[in-house]
Amino acid sequence: MVKQLKCEGVTYSYPGGAPVVDGASLTVERGELLCIIGPNGAGKSTLLKSMAGLLSVDEGAIMVDGLAVSSLGPRERARTLALVPQFLDAIPPLSVGNFVMGGRYGHLDSWRRADSADCEAVTGALLAAHVAELGERLLGELSGGQRQRVLIARALAQAAGYLLVDEPTSSLDPEHQLGVFSLLKELAESGRGVCVVTHDLNLASQFADKVALMQSGGFVGIGTPAELLTAEVLEPVYGAHFRFDSWSSADDEERPVVVPWALQ
Amino acid sequence: MSARPLAILLTLLLAGILVASLGVGSTEVVGVADGVRGALAMLGLAEPLEQYQVLVELRVTRLLATVGVGAALALSGALLQGVFRNDLASPAIIGVSSGAGLGASLAILVIGGYGPRFMIENAVGFGPVAVTASALVGAASCAWLVTTLSTANGRISVPMLLLVGIAVNAIAAGLLAAIQSWALRDFDVSQALFSWVFGRLEDRSSFQVGLLWSGLVASALVIPFVALELDLFATGEEDARSLGVNTSRVKLLTILAASAAAAIAVSVAGQISFIGLVVPHVVRRITSASHRAVLPLCLLAGPVFLAGTELVQRSLLGGAHLQPGVTMSLLGGPFFLFLLVRHRRELRAW
Repeated sequence: MVKQLKCEGVTYSYPGGAPVVDGASLTVERGELLCIIGPNGAGKSTLLKSMAGLLSVDEGAIMVDGLAVSSLGPRERARTLALVPQFLDAIPPLSVGNFVMGGRYGHLDSWRRADSADCEAVTGALLAAHVAELGERLLGELSGGQRQRVLIARALAQAAGYLLVDEPTSSLDPEHQLGVFSLLKELAESGRGVCVVTHDLNLASQFADKVALMQSGGFVGIGTPAELLTAEVLEPVYGAHFRFDSWSSADDEERPVVVPWALQ
Repeated sequence: MSARPLAILLTLLLAGILVASLGVGSTEVVGVADGVRGALAMLGLAEPLEQYQVLVELRVTRLLATVGVGAALALSGALLQGVFRNDLASPAIIGVSSGAGLGASLAILVIGGYGPRFMIENAVGFGPVAVTASALVGAASCAWLVTTLSTANGRISVPMLLLVGIAVNAIAAGLLAAIQSWALRDFDVSQALFSWVFGRLEDRSSFQVGLLWSGLVASALVIPFVALELDLFATGEEDARSLGVNTSRVKLLTILAASAAAAIAVSVAGQISFIGLVVPHVVRRITSASHRAVLPLCLLAGPVFLAGTELVQRSLLGGAHLQPGVTMSLLGGPFFLFLLVRHRRELRAW
């Protein structure tokens, strides 16, 4: 069985509207960090929700480890794919530990009782997301960066093979942006498939194994940061001019530095 | 306060209120010891009282109705506040109260009056059954109409449900007013209608009490299957789905159980508002916000609140006591206003 999360020709439109995702195909391998980039309204977050099984696609297929996502029951789906949302509708009056325990819902027995394995999974998730010291704190007391890590910890508690992360750094300062992407990279290196939607081209360039550029519901290109983050590819899609520089990462791979410079 | 000590405290309080209530009624005052002996005699565990056995039996039935109604309405409110993620939700919102009112009023109009007169004279033996059944049909129909009209593609939209609820309530209130104005000519019918609108816990038949408790038990059975799920709803429905919650099933189960509990309570005891609003809110303030604590605790706190206010006002006012629907409105109305004022900032932010 191939261990990958695969979208093939996925099309989705909201009721009564034009397709937001239109024939998108993408593969996320285990052990890799893939960043989906693209202008506002390109369909990135909608595709991510479709991949998480939260939207039923109009056309195409989404397969996870050889099974159609749509064929999985809600709890089985939560054990396979974990979504880290950009934000929550409301911050519940819960401690971090209890909130992260929510990630174990798919693993609880039919009486919804948590056992020692669930408690161990929560402790492990808090440690892996570097928030173990926050376990007793209330969610509402945390800073933006801490809250983002706690959201990732809850997804880790789901013990899913794939993490789908929606704009995790949009309201964070540079230190926390680096912290969150380092964590995501760590998680990919530990064998999970990590797919991140982001507007930050430089973080994508620095951390991603692959970058997928989306425009008008479909992918313009998928490749390494060096292949995709070029003037020829980016400028027609974003309608802006960029300045480029580049450096080599520890693994000797070329990592472009991209600065938006002027409107076209 | 954590859930377990609160549960023990509420159980002791309820037991105390019930024992004291056996001795207090609108007519004769029976000693607490005699009240308990009379109640035990109903179970064959003691000798019946020589003088007041019938009176005590009526009080036991009244208390069973009071406990059932308090628990059913509080549970209904807690379930609805959880599924709507809104502290201001209550059974009245989904049209249950006005639907039951409409059904009961129609039956009263057709039968031609319904009240203590029929219980005593036994003139219309099927009166209570007919009015309760008609109220239940009215409540279920309104709840069904509201939930169906706010469902699209198999999913219930909560904002739509609130708006449809307002519209259906307005229609039911108009029809109720029409029935009341038709009935003005007939004193008996008018009196029966108003008595029902104010809520009534006395003179309930064993059929009504049995129906009430069956509905309560059936509704309470959903608690283990929705409590944790409603906690996960707190961060949004989509978030709960991503964690593996079958949100459509949870919403359906919760709204069905809440409607059934409120419909049966209102069908049996008339319109008693605000328990479903006040009790869950107070329980949440005292203990945690988790539905695993709030839902079972409401089954105790609802009866404590209703039976407690009944006991206090019967002790103070005796035969001149107010009907429970009136007391609850007098207490609940200002509390609702207090909640709205407290939530002022959030409401403005919407």
